[in-house]
Amino acid sequence: MTSFFNGTILIAPIGDFDADLLQTLEKMVRETFGLPCRIEPLLDDIHFAWNAERDQYHSTVILGKLTEALPQDAYKIIALTHEDLFIPILTHVYGEAELGGVSCIVSTFRLSSDISPTSRRDLYLDRIYKESAHELGHTFDLRHCKDPQCLMHYCRRISDVDGKMNHFCRYCKVMLEDELKRAGS
Amino acid sequence: MSKTRIMVVDDELIIRESLAAWLERDGHHVEMAGSGEEAMEKLAATHYDILLVDIKMEGMSGLDVLRAAKEKDQDLAVVMITAYGSITTAIDAMKHGATEYLLKPFDPEEIGMLIEKIVAQQAREKENLYLREEVRARTRFESMIGQSPAMQEIFDLINDVAPMDSTVLITGETGTGKGLAAKAIHTCSQRSQGPFVAVNCGAIPEHLMESELFGHQKGAFTDARETKKGRLELANGGTLFLDEIGEIGMRMQIDLLRVLEDRVFYRVGGTQPLEADFRVIAATNRDLKKAIEDGVFREDLFYRLNVIAFAMPPLRNRKEDIPLLCDHFLRRYSQETNKPIRKTTREAMDEMMVYDWPGNIRELENAIERAVVVGKGTQLSLEDLPIICSPEKAKPQDHSLKEIEKHHIRQVLAENQWNISVCAKILGIDRSTLYSKIKRYQLQSPS
Repeated sequence: MTSFFNGTILIAPIGDFDADLLQTLEKMVRETFGLPCRIEPLLDDIHFAWNAERDQYHSTVILGKLTEALPQDAYKIIALTHEDLFIPILTHVYGEAELGGVSCIVSTFRLSSDISPTSRRDLYLDRIYKESAHELGHTFDLRHCKDPQCLMHYCRRISDVDGKMNHFCRYCKVMLEDELKRAGS
Repeated sequence: MSKTRIMVVDDELIIRESLAAWLERDGHHVEMAGSGEEAMEKLAATHYDILLVDIKMEGMSGLDVLRAAKEKDQDLAVVMITAYGSITTAIDAMKHGATEYLLKPFDPEEIGMLIEKIVAQQAREKENLYLREEVRARTRFESMIGQSPAMQEIFDLINDVAPMDSTVLITGETGTGKGLAAKAIHTCSQRSQGPFVAVNCGAIPEHLMESELFGHQKGAFTDARETKKGRLELANGGTLFLDEIGEIGMRMQIDLLRVLEDRVFYRVGGTQPLEADFRVIAATNRDLKKAIEDGVFREDLFYRLNVIAFAMPPLRNRKEDIPLLCDHFLRRYSQETNKPIRKTTREAMDEMMVYDWPGNIRELENAIERAVVVGKGTQLSLEDLPIICSPEKAKPQDHSLKEIEKHHIRQVLAENQWNISVCAKILGIDRSTLYSKIKRYQLQSPS
């Protein structure tokens, strides 16, 4: 995909991550969105979003802080955390994004609930690729897609993520291109 | 496809915002209301498909919103959101028409699936409504014709009943179109690609019925030179229509009951149990409850057949359909006979509208067929319809006691669909006397 403007996507790990995992995110941004990216931690700690009663982190609060911290030369942020995320009405979320906004976040907490992240490394990284692309897609105003193979398809179960392909369906692709054109103009 | 319109009603900002954002990502149009009062204002101004309402709110409670919203729009799906503590209130809300309740916080899988389920259900209801309206607008349904409210009701009913796999019992006088209704149910059902096998129980002698229904093995009896499949086997994957079920003998009723219970049967002379998957539609012009009282019909078989039951209206109760039916038969028979009769004179139509048609549509069809065959002009006239006359004209021309008795018996028989027991009781004579009078006066049932 051709990039229409130099809109750098900032990959913001929260905590320590293996190099192959961060490389997976870089690959995802370049392949799927055709945009440049760089790795730069923005938040050292997300304790401000911790909810003692639920022992989870409120993802919406984290998104607010990320957006505030957006560097001038960056276009959007994708943050990554090992912590379990929630929004008040739901028991948990795999990630959250500002729809048509700046920030999104993905949690690895539940992505390996049924597999070993070391022995099934490729599958684990593949899930992170797809979930990150999905959340970043929301920041480009893409909604959930009915096509079960599209990256924007909402998976009810984590095992369903494995059924998705590593790209958008042609409709979501067109909408993403429109959004990129608008941003570049 | 238009977006589903959802309103989230919660007095906690963080809850309604997070839920609204979540649902928006799923592609729905979502609006929010911070109180029951605000929700009702929005409902008064706009249509919504789904309301997600918190039960505990200041001012107007979730239950108040549910009641008021349902009063305004019965089709609106209202999902109650509740904390574990108020689950009894949530159950109470279900009794007041809430579609579902969700315990806070909900699993993302749960809310997504619930919304999908509601949207699918609403789509189905809309489609059903559309189909019903479509059918209502038509005067024809499969091979059935009618624009009267009575027939529109039958069309609706067939539409509703067809997709189910339940046994259907169609009652009604002779000639009212019970067979056509059965065929229409089959055609509109999921079994429409399968066979429609009709058995006229009244026309098959009892000693042949077993072989007819269950089939027979080669050598099972003297004439069984080949193994033959029965109607039950032939109906596999389709519909078995048992016409005139009231005429079936007591022994066969027992066999039939067993088959209807487990769908397993044996060919006559066979030892191998056979299974067949078929839907049963039965029809009768007899009063089966009366037949049970008289000891000629098994009660258990009646209840097995009477799962969904409806009655075909007699033509005298839907006379507004006569012009439509007349036109239909006129076209058919003028084409078949290559005659240029296309219209009915006003006089003939008036007479047809007055006549009670004891033999129902079959009698009307026969009358028109005959009229077309004997008719000379381009219009069907009263002279071509000597069989049907207004009751006034049907009165005996001579006033002999014999003629008046004949006329009276004929009228009572017609009014009671040739039910001999009922007619004998009305006439104050026993059944055998009535039979002998029918024979003497050469009266014939329209069927």
